[in-house]
Amino acid sequence: MTRVNRFNSPVPDHEYLADGDVLFYLRDAVTQLLDHQQEYTTFGLIRYFAEYFSSVKNSNHVLFREYNYIRATPHNRASFIRVFWRCYRQIGKSGDLLSTLEYRSLLQLLCPDFPLEMVQRAARIVQMEDVVDCLMSFSDFLYALQLHFYYPEFLNSMLLIYQDLLAGKSPNTVIVPTSTSIDLLRSVAAENISKEKQQQQQDGVDPSTLAQCIDALCDRFKHSHPPRSCMREVLGQTNKVYYYSFLMSLAKHESINQTIGALPSRAEFLIDPEMDQDLEKLIAQISVSPSSNSSGSAVGGLKEVHRRASPRRNIHHRRKIEVESDGSTEETDSSEN
Amino acid sequence: MADKEKRRSGATPPGMPEGNATKSDSDREFLSRAGVGELLRGAILKMVEARSDDPIGFLADHFCNLASVSETGTAGYSDVDHFSDGPLSAGAQEQQHLNRALWHLRLAHHSQRSAFSNNVRVAYDLLNLTGPLRRSGEAPQGPDVSCTDSPTEGGGGGGGVKGGLYTQTLQCLCSEGGVPASTSAPLLQRLHCQDHEAVPYDIFRHGVLTCAVFSDYIRQAQRLYAEVCCPDEGPASQALCLSVLGTLKEALETSQGCEANVCDNSNMKVNSCLEGNVKALCYLEASAKISPYRLGQAMAGAQARGPGGNMDAKEFENAAAELFITRVKVVS
Repeated sequence: MTRVNRFNSPVPDHEYLADGDVLFYLRDAVTQLLDHQQEYTTFGLIRYFAEYFSSVKNSNHVLFREYNYIRATPHNRASFIRVFWRCYRQIGKSGDLLSTLEYRSLLQLLCPDFPLEMVQRAARIVQMEDVVDCLMSFSDFLYALQLHFYYPEFLNSMLLIYQDLLAGKSPNTVIVPTSTSIDLLRSVAAENISKEKQQQQQDGVDPSTLAQCIDALCDRFKHSHPPRSCMREVLGQTNKVYYYSFLMSLAKHESINQTIGALPSRAEFLIDPEMDQDLEKLIAQISVSPSSNSSGSAVGGLKEVHRRASPRRNIHHRRKIEVESDGSTEETDSSEN
Repeated sequence: MADKEKRRSGATPPGMPEGNATKSDSDREFLSRAGVGELLRGAILKMVEARSDDPIGFLADHFCNLASVSETGTAGYSDVDHFSDGPLSAGAQEQQHLNRALWHLRLAHHSQRSAFSNNVRVAYDLLNLTGPLRRSGEAPQGPDVSCTDSPTEGGGGGGGVKGGLYTQTLQCLCSEGGVPASTSAPLLQRLHCQDHEAVPYDIFRHGVLTCAVFSDYIRQAQRLYAEVCCPDEGPASQALCLSVLGTLKEALETSQGCEANVCDNSNMKVNSCLEGNVKALCYLEASAKISPYRLGQAMAGAQARGPGGNMDAKEFENAAAELFITRVKVVS
């Protein structure tokens, strides 16, 4: 995404600042500073800002933050998905299937107020029907969550368009929702979903009509949306479009995944050499001295290696999270920069 | 301070009862006591000046450097004379300066004229070991711009950047720009200076600018090749590639009259080096504006003429590079 047309005059200062969320991060840095005045002043202000922005740069900044923060910018959203993947990909490796509520618990370990609604929407994409607490694989769930978490405004608008088309309205009269109307219509949409699902199996929508409407939406949409070529590609593969199977295809689409840039491709989804190494070390330590005490110290020893004196991390650990956050290694390296 | 307060008050939710008025007062007090306003203002000013493509990364680096300066006293960022620093050896210091200079040069794209010039200036001062404040004292060279012939020490009195360091900078710029060493070698042949020579500012700037433009150009050529050739079908036919290259060459040649982008260093005399600068920039613009119609015409013509062997990506790249490099003046 280029901010400057490279062959015209440079962007004026205020535009440069407005584009790209820098002011948002500056504001948040100051707010965090005020909320934890004591700790950070002893630590040193310059070092505080250095760590804050380094962690934003390295995508470590979203851990244990509130939901409003992690969904505030595209970078935050992608970082959060990535953090979730890093923390829990072992689940994928072990092949366990989990329910919606279990995934929500995992999410809440990383973000205390992560809403159930978002988890349910992701689950709906995977299950393509009412959420009857079916079990889902880690990769299916995460790719679906990524799509919905990264492009929520777009998916909301698309649902409304789809429902209109299903109701028989012609494309020209389909209302392209503005950002203000979305909030009002969201509750309506939630009601309509269960009604709509009953029709799901019988009715679909003509792909080219939907493509037309999506094009019109993208033209005017001020939020981000998946690349049009990908959506057109998916629509072109079928004679009739069903909402959730469309979304699932989008979720699995590799180009969209790369555009977001948070997760690796499906083929590499479970590969994690660092974690494997850490686990092997841990297991080796435990098996060497099999008393129960040593397993605790092995874990402590491992965490010692990764931890770096930093009040930001202390504050987070005070919330008694037991998640293995291997983002800490990156933080160690980055702060030396 | 106004924007800092606005920023901070944006964080507290609106409509809070008076009980929180004292909190915002004490917050404000804390912020001004701690000097947060100045700190952030300085950072924002630097950021806007540098116009980096990655503002968050810039801020991270900026604060990290500031932190290491204040913590250890080692100047990684300022223009202080470094000879008094004990711990680092001369070679390591040089490497550090090179890294810092490259970081500065990477910040803004060369099309952002004033920001890029600022950054080149800062990089030059960093690499110029004898001391920074030479802006007013530096007179531009005569019409035949050349590195000084006499073997001046890089760290000697009033010299420029060491030739070896300058060449290294150019090499790094090219490789970071995605240009393989073999492609950039002929360019560097034309631009480089001897190790012992002291490089004045305008030569430095010319070299850096040319390398930046060249990297863009090569990337553009690579993209052109990708358009022309489908990876599944093997390398593109030679005739096709030659036509595309021909169109590229025409675009370069017809950019003579291009005067849109004149360097804004008004205190520099126009000399043969700068002419090369301006032209180099025009070339890139012209090549970017190759019309799809003309390209299509060329491609259709080539297919009609029939293939004569294939040209792979590397050959195409080298040929395109040659078109560019032949127009670069040799630094003598």
